[in-house]
Amino acid sequence: MNSNDAPSGFLKNVRILDLAAANAGFCTKLLADLGAQVIKVEKPEGDDARGIGPFLRGKDNSRHSLSFLYNNANKYGITLNLDHEKGRSIYIDLVKKTDVLVETFPPEHLAGLGLAYEHLKWANPKLIHASISNFGPDGPKKTYKSCDLVAAASGGQMAVNGSPDREPLKSYGDQSGFTASLFAVYGILLALRNRRLTGEGEHLDISMQASVTATLEHVMERYFSGKNIFCRQAGRHWNDEFVTLPCKDGFLTITVFQHWDTLVEWLEGDGMAEDLRNDMWRDEQYRRVHSDHIIRVLQKWTLTHSAGELFEKAQLMRFPWAPVRSPRAVLECPQHKARGFFFEEDHIESGMKLCFPGMPFKCSKTTARSRRPAPLPGEHNRHIYECVLGMSAGALEKCQHDKVI
Amino acid sequence: MADILTGIRVLDFTRVVAGPFATRMLADFGAEVIKIQSSKITGRFESNTDPYFCNWNRNKRSITLDMGHPEARKLFLKLASASDVVVENFSPRVMTNWDLTYNHLEPVNPGIIMLSMSGLGHTGPWRDQVAYGPTVQALGGLTYLTAYEQREPMGVGFAYADMVSGLYGAIAVVAALEDRELTGRGQWIDLSEHEAACTALGPAFTETFLDGQATEPRGNIEIHQQAAPYGCYRCRGSDRWCVIAVYNNEEWLALCGEIDDPALVEDKRFASKKGRQAFKEPLDQFIGSWTKGQSAEDVVERLQNVGVAAGVVQNAEDLANDPQLVANDFFTTLEHPVLGRMTTDTTPIRFDKIPRKAWKPAPQLGDANNYVFGELLGLSTPEIVAYKQKGVIA
Repeated sequence: MNSNDAPSGFLKNVRILDLAAANAGFCTKLLADLGAQVIKVEKPEGDDARGIGPFLRGKDNSRHSLSFLYNNANKYGITLNLDHEKGRSIYIDLVKKTDVLVETFPPEHLAGLGLAYEHLKWANPKLIHASISNFGPDGPKKTYKSCDLVAAASGGQMAVNGSPDREPLKSYGDQSGFTASLFAVYGILLALRNRRLTGEGEHLDISMQASVTATLEHVMERYFSGKNIFCRQAGRHWNDEFVTLPCKDGFLTITVFQHWDTLVEWLEGDGMAEDLRNDMWRDEQYRRVHSDHIIRVLQKWTLTHSAGELFEKAQLMRFPWAPVRSPRAVLECPQHKARGFFFEEDHIESGMKLCFPGMPFKCSKTTARSRRPAPLPGEHNRHIYECVLGMSAGALEKCQHDKVI
Repeated sequence: MADILTGIRVLDFTRVVAGPFATRMLADFGAEVIKIQSSKITGRFESNTDPYFCNWNRNKRSITLDMGHPEARKLFLKLASASDVVVENFSPRVMTNWDLTYNHLEPVNPGIIMLSMSGLGHTGPWRDQVAYGPTVQALGGLTYLTAYEQREPMGVGFAYADMVSGLYGAIAVVAALEDRELTGRGQWIDLSEHEAACTALGPAFTETFLDGQATEPRGNIEIHQQAAPYGCYRCRGSDRWCVIAVYNNEEWLALCGEIDDPALVEDKRFASKKGRQAFKEPLDQFIGSWTKGQSAEDVVERLQNVGVAAGVVQNAEDLANDPQLVANDFFTTLEHPVLGRMTTDTTPIRFDKIPRKAWKPAPQLGDANNYVFGELLGLSTPEIVAYKQKGVIA
């Protein structure tokens, strides 16, 4: 074991079994990035998430899913057939040596295999079993199927995204799996703390739908306090505080009401303030009621400038404005570069260089050092089955021959 | 039984939403969160009787401390030495100007965990930029990518980046608290909301790095090409919609069974997933003409009953009444002394054994002054009165 492999980071003493599907892969990825030993358990033919494109071609023509490489960095990989009786008994042995189990199976699936928390807790009373579910453990929709689109709709994200003239719009990416993953990590950390204090294991469930609803910021609060049902209004924030406007070369998200006198002066300098110079506009209430007009005037003005130029000038005057940047521009961001947010890594199988976003926080004292690429299927079978479970080389070979591993 | 974070004291020096959400997550699970307010700062989001404020500050206590007063710093250091965690979400220069960075707090409390939640982080050329959730979403790529097509970004209709940043903040604090149990040391955590927002896009950057054109907005199209049909369809009623996602042939046949039109099943173009992707437009039209006569709820129930992933595009009212969210205890009501009964969402995390303790509504301005300055810091009543008269505790 070289020094790079020595456990480090917040969770260096925590072992995690990862049976999460692709949409919740970020949960165990984050736990691994925090230093936990995460063991991804794949079926012998490999995880479904390996089939999600786009792909990198290996030199031997092998296929490597980019999202799999991203979500499984820092994890160990083993294969195990849970449909096989011997596989289930090995699984129980693994559970005995595990702190946390993360899974995303439909509610009845694990019970059918005799592997629900009720069964596992006898093998390991200190186990923390986290289920990331579509709709939560109770209720009429608990067996409903889901995916990011369904969770985004059912959880309330879509109704508030997009143009009023068109269909509701899903946020880019897999935001329901992402937010559920963050809540799951928080819940797991709380359960680990609780276990240290009480000696007890725990089962927790994180609903993907509720995770979406729990991250809607103003939407539920404004309904409960004033029965406001917010509907999508394109690039305009609910209170018109922020609006996204076109510029010569792109788009810019700006504030509409802040630093009013400075803003009008700025427009006036370009001869484009129109009637905004009039005194009535200095009254904030008036501005809020007539924001449509302000936005019209602002848009004529932004169209005569580049987004970068306005962004730079605005920040000098303490306007919290920002250009709408493409992922390509984000990769080139000087701030990211200075903080080392993205890091590059060689991908051995393809000979390509890959680039990954890092952790969004820096800790002054505790950091996880190790950095291992996502495992190949069964890459750590020997390490885990022999070193962690104490299986003999002969027994492991027999399991491989019997298609258990 | 105690809550998980009982005994952890958090000094909450945060405003508006990202910071308050982070400390609310700590308070919800039992931490004693003391919010530092000032009677001078009572704008919309810092008014103790504003529903928005109350939503993000439940289960917390409130003290007043006017940092503009020269004697406030001494009290702040005393508070920090009696706390486990300090959370602040000012721009980097604020705590620096007050001489209250981690380097100032560590000597008075080596175990202190300080979480700084800024827009762009405390280092780098852009550290002093002003940023809010919606502008961070623009900077980080989410606004650009959330669009029907490339030219016109729609973005997300709420301050999502603030929520993401708050979640990371709560995660970092609990991880650092557990680390302190092992090592005995505290630390400073420098969280960048800009970076937090970027992690929400994950592999999009890995893809873009390899192929600059790889990642472009695609509306509701499924980016990994795993499903077809996959989309949002109009239903009966005003602005009512449902989504449908079909991942395999079995589900496709189940959908056809419900639509029950031979023209659909027999159409060769739609026989394979590839075909359904290639002829997305006529297929979506076909499905749309079937959904538009029915309520979104009916379509979804029918499809889910035959094993097809579908969902109603739920607005705030639908969500508040969703039997699923209600069955999972997702909402609760709190009795606020001024605003009365308030409904609020709780958390998507459900523990089997650890019970949810009784929650408290958001505090009144300075309602814990006597408890905090008297009981916790040991100031006498005359001392507290003097500080109040001088405008320090104010």
